[in-house]
Amino acid sequence: MLSTNFVLVTALLYVVLLFVLAFFSDRQARRGRDRLLRSPLVYTLSISVYCTSWTFYGAVGSAARNGLEFATIYLGPTLVFVGWWFLLRKLVRIGHEHRITSIADLISSRFGKSTTLAVLVTCIAVMGTTPYIALQLKAVTTSFQVVSNVTHTALLGYPIESGDTTIGFWVAAAMAVFTIAFGTRNLDANEHNPGVVAAIAFEALVKLFALLAVGAFVVFGMAGGLGAVFSQPAVAQMLEPERAFGDRWIALTLLSAIAIICLPRQFQVTVVENSDEKHLRTAAWAFPLYLLLTSLFILPIAVSGLSLLPTGSNPDMFVLTLPMLAGKEALALFVFIGGFSSATSMVIVASIALSIMVSNHIVVPMALRLPFFSLDASGDIKQLLLVSRRISIACILLLGYLYFSVSARSDALAAIGLIAFAGVAQFSPALVGGLFWRNATATGAIVGLGAGFALWAYTLFLPSLFNGGAMAGFVEHGPYGLSLLRPRALFGLEGLDPLVHALFWSLGLNAVLFVVVSNWTSQKPIEKLQSALFVDVFRNVAGTESRVLQRRAAVKDLYVLAQRILGPAETHRLFEELTGGLVDLESLPAPDARFIAHIERRLAGNIGAATARALVSQIATGETISLDEIIKLVDETQQVVEYSHQLEEKSRQLQSIAEALRLANDRLQQLDALKDEFLSQVSHEVRTPMTSIRSFAEILLDADDLGPEQTRRFIGIIHEESLRLTRLLDEILEMSRLEKGELEFDSTALDPEIMVDRAVDICQGMARKEGVTLSRGTRVDAVVINGDADRLQQVMINLLTNAIKYNTSDSPRVEVDSRLTGNHYEVDVRDNGPGLTDRERAFDKFTRGRDQSDRGHAGTGLGLAISRQIVLRMGGELTLVDDDGPGACFRIRLPAGAV
Amino acid sequence: MHPRQSAHLALLILCAGVLLLMPPLVWIFNKPVSVFGIPLAALYVFGVWLALVVGAFALTRILPHDD
Repeated sequence: MLSTNFVLVTALLYVVLLFVLAFFSDRQARRGRDRLLRSPLVYTLSISVYCTSWTFYGAVGSAARNGLEFATIYLGPTLVFVGWWFLLRKLVRIGHEHRITSIADLISSRFGKSTTLAVLVTCIAVMGTTPYIALQLKAVTTSFQVVSNVTHTALLGYPIESGDTTIGFWVAAAMAVFTIAFGTRNLDANEHNPGVVAAIAFEALVKLFALLAVGAFVVFGMAGGLGAVFSQPAVAQMLEPERAFGDRWIALTLLSAIAIICLPRQFQVTVVENSDEKHLRTAAWAFPLYLLLTSLFILPIAVSGLSLLPTGSNPDMFVLTLPMLAGKEALALFVFIGGFSSATSMVIVASIALSIMVSNHIVVPMALRLPFFSLDASGDIKQLLLVSRRISIACILLLGYLYFSVSARSDALAAIGLIAFAGVAQFSPALVGGLFWRNATATGAIVGLGAGFALWAYTLFLPSLFNGGAMAGFVEHGPYGLSLLRPRALFGLEGLDPLVHALFWSLGLNAVLFVVVSNWTSQKPIEKLQSALFVDVFRNVAGTESRVLQRRAAVKDLYVLAQRILGPAETHRLFEELTGGLVDLESLPAPDARFIAHIERRLAGNIGAATARALVSQIATGETISLDEIIKLVDETQQVVEYSHQLEEKSRQLQSIAEALRLANDRLQQLDALKDEFLSQVSHEVRTPMTSIRSFAEILLDADDLGPEQTRRFIGIIHEESLRLTRLLDEILEMSRLEKGELEFDSTALDPEIMVDRAVDICQGMARKEGVTLSRGTRVDAVVINGDADRLQQVMINLLTNAIKYNTSDSPRVEVDSRLTGNHYEVDVRDNGPGLTDRERAFDKFTRGRDQSDRGHAGTGLGLAISRQIVLRMGGELTLVDDDGPGACFRIRLPAGAV
Repeated sequence: MHPRQSAHLALLILCAGVLLLMPPLVWIFNKPVSVFGIPLAALYVFGVWLALVVGAFALTRILPHDD
């Protein structure tokens, strides 16, 4: 067992380590060596301030009570980060562009830099966060008492003296010192607190490793593997299918998704402390991964705790009591430090975020209204800001401690995690709506936020305070016994889980009022301007507002104001930057709207947009906001959107047209090549008979001693060759007319069998002369096709003569078969000759597929090409059948109609 | 990939995540059955979770940079 003093000293040493780490990181950063601190990894780790002690200890407790439900708290943020492109990216961009200092500042800026909204949001944030800080103090106290408990009740996981708040006080005090020392060095929103960031990132690693270590130990060291863990009987009771995935599942996922954006500390680390938008890209997957790793062992730890620890043990302390049960004191101490880390990191960031809000939106505006404060001294507001931030931090932590000490004996704190989530969730309609909805008005946001907050307090916060106390009757029966106003069954809505019930009424009414009132009311000019700048932040860079917002101010006044807020050195630098080397203030021309807007934005980074505007307005005169310009601005951005849409559309069309043109060009080139080839083939074909005609004519001219017999023979050859030439030209002509589609075709219903028979009859004579057996095989009884009778006959004769002429077989045969296949009529002309030498090019022009060594039989090489064209024109096809038999088989296939 | 297409893909992954983790689809896996010794519902929820992490990682490579 660990002694109290040992644990105390360890915790103290850990705090000292945090101070040292923060101190050195701060020093390194000031020397410009903060590459690691500004890395996406550290950014991701700092976001994990989401995992407080409420999740470090409470997740296992939640799993032990409600099974898988604990996962919703991490699934919501996971979904938000997976969808970073749509919401977080815009938030971060707005944060950078407008130098947003807090969530209150963002909402107030969006709705016309409204002071009312800023104050309202700040108050809700403080109310929601203080109990949460108290919860952290309680967790540290409880875990300290459990881990240092030396009595036999230690394993039950309950504190011995539940009223002891000493530890809580010292933790709060140490954190106050830490936060004041390292968290209030920079006032500008876009300057960061490297010391704090380093400590938070370090603590994020400690808590993750602590959870993983205890998880691995419980699963593999104590239970003997995952299978063994999940075979415990406790599993069935924990993971009852009836209880999981109901309305609470949906509500909690939604709630945690909202919380990861709206919790002031999350907004602080995700948006305000973001040093580079690109870091979001890494966090988008790394933060969900962190959450996944955190939750990995929660279920096994809960199961093991339920089965191994004595009945009635505190499930919220299983993480700690399990290693204690196994006697692993070092591990228990590590877990304690992990829980301590998760609590302190939350306390640090939350108090920084709240102190910024309180000082910017409450303290400074109030102080500036006090008559005795108008000192006009250089750096006075800066000093005021610093002091008020430090005091705010101390006050917030004191408030948290007081809350803790008041409620330390009751269970009221246990449920505060989700209650706080539901409280800050009220920001979401105004926040998300304001980011995407142009017409959302400040009045709408104020009414919605106010109503949502009131309902949240009435249905959730008050009942949690009065639970079991003297006011129990109020929760049970409603105020004055009005049952319709019962906080947990408002307007008679019964049967829902209290949290779901409260969320439904508060968030629902909040959103409805926000939308309805926004539609009823109209925006003030400054609201219109801010709405245009925020909704279209990706198109309207900051600075555009100077076009719309016209005002005049003296350089000297601006300089003095800047000095009051930024201090002399920073102001000097700013003016140098703006004027391009500071000249004498007196000789500078009157600053234009752009200049004033820049100064205002720079000041807003320190004191918030609302206060900065109020201060600048005091010294600026003749402020006009041109509504026409705002309308133009909005129109322009919309036009740009539309224009770019159209451009994209156009370029897509152009692309497809270019593609079509390219294809057409390719085709043309192909055709051109074909034509060239055809021409050269024709010339070649014409040349052969011409050559022989010429040479015989020359012989006839030159030779006088030719006998009449020989003369006659030569003239015969000339005649034959000219006939061949004529036939060739006729066929070329026919071919070209066929291809151009100029040839007229009859299309009458006819019986193709008659044409086939007639062609066979015509070719019988030739067949007999050549000694070829021409026979008719199978035939079709009744068939009708549409086509040209003479043309079909021409094709058949061409096929038959080819088959007969080139058949060099010993017992030459040609057979004609016809049949119906489906609704097609087919005729095969099959011979047993030598077959075709080049089957692939059989139908090409001037290709002689058969061996034509016998010159007497030489064809033009166009027959098959013409035949194929004819059959194509009749809607059929002429093919060379692929078979193994000797010879060739041509098939005509034509669509057949009904008889 | 076209910037608009990758943004659509991001939306698709987000919607798939929401649909898969919310009732009624999640009820399909809410049965008292164990796979590899782990309750099916737990395995399913963590599986979808891991898939979302992987999806988000892949998306960051595809989504366009602003500058």
